[in-house]
Amino acid sequence: MAEHHEEHQHEHMNIPKYVGIFVILVAGTILTYVTAQWDLDGTLFAGANTLLALLIAFTKMTFVMLFFMHVYWSPKLIWLSAVASFFWLAIMFAYTMQDYLTRGSGVFTT
Amino acid sequence: MQDAGLTNEEIEEKPKLNYLTNGSTLKSWLLTKDHKRIALMYLVSVSAFFFVGGLYAATIRLELLTPATDLLESGTYNKAFTQHGILMIFFFLIPSIPAILGNFLLPIMIGAKDLALPRINLLSLYFYWIGGALTIFALLQGGVDTGWTFYTPYSTTFSNTFVMAVGLGIFINGFSSILTGLNFIVTIHTMRAPGMTWFRLPLFVWANYATSLVMILGTPVVAITVLLLAIERFARVGIFDPAIGGDPILFQHLFWFYSHPAVYIMILPGMGVISELISNFSRKKIFGYEFIAFSSIAIAVFGFLVWGHHMFVSGQSIYAGLVFSFLTMVVAVPSAIKMFNWTATLYKGSIDFSTPMLYAIGFLGLFLIGGLTGLFLGSIGLTVHLTDTYFVVAHFHYVMVGGQVIAYLGGIHYWWPKMTGRMYSEFWGKISAMLVFIGFNLTFFPQFILGYQGMPRRYASYPEELQVLNIFSTAGASVLGVGLLMPVVYLAHSLIYGKKAGDNPWLLPGLEWRTASPPPTENFEKMPVVTWEAYEFGEENGLDVEEARRRDLATVR
Amino acid sequence: MSAHASDKFVYHEPGLQHQFDDMKQQEESVSIGMWMFLVQEIMFFGGLFTAYLVFRSRYPLAFAEASNHLDAFWGGLNTLVLIVSSLTMALTVYYAQRGNRNMQVIMILLTMFFGTVFLGVKVIEYTDKYNSGLVPVTGWNKKIPETAGTEHAASKDPTFALPLIETRAEAASAADDHKKHPNPKGEFQWNYGTHVVDYGLSKEKETGKPYLTASERIGYFSNGVFDPDKYRDKIRMFYYIYFVMTGLHALHMIVGLGLMSWLLWTAWRGYYSAEYYAPVEMSGLYWHFVDIVWIFLFPLLYLLGRHFLAGH
Repeated sequence: MAEHHEEHQHEHMNIPKYVGIFVILVAGTILTYVTAQWDLDGTLFAGANTLLALLIAFTKMTFVMLFFMHVYWSPKLIWLSAVASFFWLAIMFAYTMQDYLTRGSGVFTT
Repeated sequence: MQDAGLTNEEIEEKPKLNYLTNGSTLKSWLLTKDHKRIALMYLVSVSAFFFVGGLYAATIRLELLTPATDLLESGTYNKAFTQHGILMIFFFLIPSIPAILGNFLLPIMIGAKDLALPRINLLSLYFYWIGGALTIFALLQGGVDTGWTFYTPYSTTFSNTFVMAVGLGIFINGFSSILTGLNFIVTIHTMRAPGMTWFRLPLFVWANYATSLVMILGTPVVAITVLLLAIERFARVGIFDPAIGGDPILFQHLFWFYSHPAVYIMILPGMGVISELISNFSRKKIFGYEFIAFSSIAIAVFGFLVWGHHMFVSGQSIYAGLVFSFLTMVVAVPSAIKMFNWTATLYKGSIDFSTPMLYAIGFLGLFLIGGLTGLFLGSIGLTVHLTDTYFVVAHFHYVMVGGQVIAYLGGIHYWWPKMTGRMYSEFWGKISAMLVFIGFNLTFFPQFILGYQGMPRRYASYPEELQVLNIFSTAGASVLGVGLLMPVVYLAHSLIYGKKAGDNPWLLPGLEWRTASPPPTENFEKMPVVTWEAYEFGEENGLDVEEARRRDLATVR
Repeated sequence: MSAHASDKFVYHEPGLQHQFDDMKQQEESVSIGMWMFLVQEIMFFGGLFTAYLVFRSRYPLAFAEASNHLDAFWGGLNTLVLIVSSLTMALTVYYAQRGNRNMQVIMILLTMFFGTVFLGVKVIEYTDKYNSGLVPVTGWNKKIPETAGTEHAASKDPTFALPLIETRAEAASAADDHKKHPNPKGEFQWNYGTHVVDYGLSKEKETGKPYLTASERIGYFSNGVFDPDKYRDKIRMFYYIYFVMTGLHALHMIVGLGLMSWLLWTAWRGYYSAEYYAPVEMSGLYWHFVDIVWIFLFPLLYLLGRHFLAGH
């Protein structure tokens, strides 16, 4: 009975590491706020602002999931379920949008 | 440690307690954590919903006996088919096999004492009851007339019926199915007995695993969709309202994102039952075990990529239609793999035509027709002619009734001796299986022709020249009705007068046949260790499995 | 796994349920179960994100316009508050793993505190929307009669008995009274101009290339003329999505706070030890999940089109 408790993530995280992740998350929040003020859509390409904001959000999420939610030390199944849920979200987005983006093309353009 | 000794003695005193006799108070049922008791409560409630849904079906068929709208007005007719659909789909087809047979057998089949999360299991039953009660309440108040699909903007803006209450009922019921799916996945991952590897699992377990994936990934989407519909109906504003720039087709996207995979929630467990029946009643190891197992998973995954074939003519982009049409053809492949493997299993098998096997063979034929006509509807050109005709109605009844209900009945008969410890009358069982098969075909085959001739669905009246086939259909429905009512009688009769079934009435090797009938509360007197492959008939092929079992137990010991 | 075969009346560890052989199996089951629950939560919110995606891609300018009126300060503050609460939640699990009851209780209290702060800020924001006529439901906004003396309208309204919180926005608008637009029926209003679409149209004139999407060309115009009412409807749709998404998120926060209260009680009673702390861990997963949802809601709702504001 005693042996499996050592397998836990006791040793993986300590308070400085938690605080480090926290600092990254705060930095990400500030970064996303600041970059949202720049007109990347105009200077780079349309959608650049959203893309950057989502990239930062994904990074933040990855840190929360890996370290706060201990996915990093979790069994494969947990990894799989985390990845699969985003894969299914992607299916929903992609297959819905493939309708909207191709709908009525050629009809409404001026 | 002292307690342990006491408990041991108590057990010795009454060794024959099974899950049915272990506690007889109402509380011992309503607060039970035993998956078998929960399954029985599901059985009773699901059957009740099936009965009510069947009454609506009978009303619909009676109305369609004549071309005029004489029995029901159009408005009432709309309510009748809506409620038939809602009750049958959300409260019968979806929960029936997973929540009754799956709940009862899955832990036994993998050699566990219970599902991993018994309290969650009980909670799912309560969600089912609450959702069901709300729906029944709405039906008593006057019902809904939107069709079971709740298409917007009719359901949000125009319908004056009890959409909110039914929507809420379906929302709550959705969580019942999510929790069941969640429980199954956890149980299959963590609760398998020693030696029960993934590829020794009975195919019924694989099918339920695939079903659970769909339940977890799909059901929340319909929950949020119904919630959005309810908010929109309540707030009189929203994203499905074309008047302010919203899009009713988005509702269809979100709805079918769940509701198409939901047909796999309905049929996959049925396929699992059929795999069990075909292999066991042919007394032959199933042909292509891995292919059947993985085709279940493939159906669950591909099932999420085809929902747009419900929307070919509802205004979605033509390119999207092409993609969805192609993928619809793809999803037929894993189903076909199953069909071929079942047929190959039958080949040179020692086939036993008991009642469950009659249902299984019926399934093969009916599901074949249902599946193939699905391809007609999935091809983007032909579907323009066939959409919203009786061809569609016939198609999905062939899959849902000819597939799922037949498999469910087969499963109920097959495991009835295990669940109750009693054997039903084989004679009446066979008669009813035949009646269901004949009645079903007589009801729905004419509808293919009707649909092809252009009879639209969801209308209370039709041109007079279509009456002959409609009379056939209604006549078939009454035969089907009798066939479906008969099991209620002889199964209930068997509870008291049926002859005692032994632990293994069919002489089969599966784990569920290696415990008492009915099983004790913790399923096995002694937790099993699995040393055999699934469907291993071996040299004792169909003969003395009892002896083999005793030998197995001896070696384990 | 050999525990099966032996006597089933072995000594039960605290918290071990009858259907499991040992704690390892139970912890594994509970953790997989919780993750499956989170998967379904992701799909649950996924439906809303799909709706957002569809309409944002249809009416990007109206969405940017609407979003510019959300207060990114409050939104950003709330993001930080949630991140802090996530840290304290992670530390709760950390201390639970070490069986440190006192620090566990303190961390749960901190988590609850920040969770409450989050909801408080949400109340401030919702009140601002109520006062500004930005709730998309007719009759759910502050009713402002045609004449002056608007200050008493809300207190007279029997349907809204709670005292209103004076927000920055309200204080500012009270300072110059002419900004208060009459709204006798409490309808959705848009009194903040059409800057973003103006920008888009001027860009079109400048470059000669289409800047508006095809849906926008249909959605904002009547007979080729810009129609403010139709534009307002698209903005209203943004606020509808905003309220549903943040409302559902807030509901999850409230459930989370309930979970925390239960956790506080059980932790206080010394229910958890280094051997048994699965409930703390599972509640932590839920809390972090709710945090993650907000991590996405913040840029998608508050920050989209922020650069239109800065650019002018």
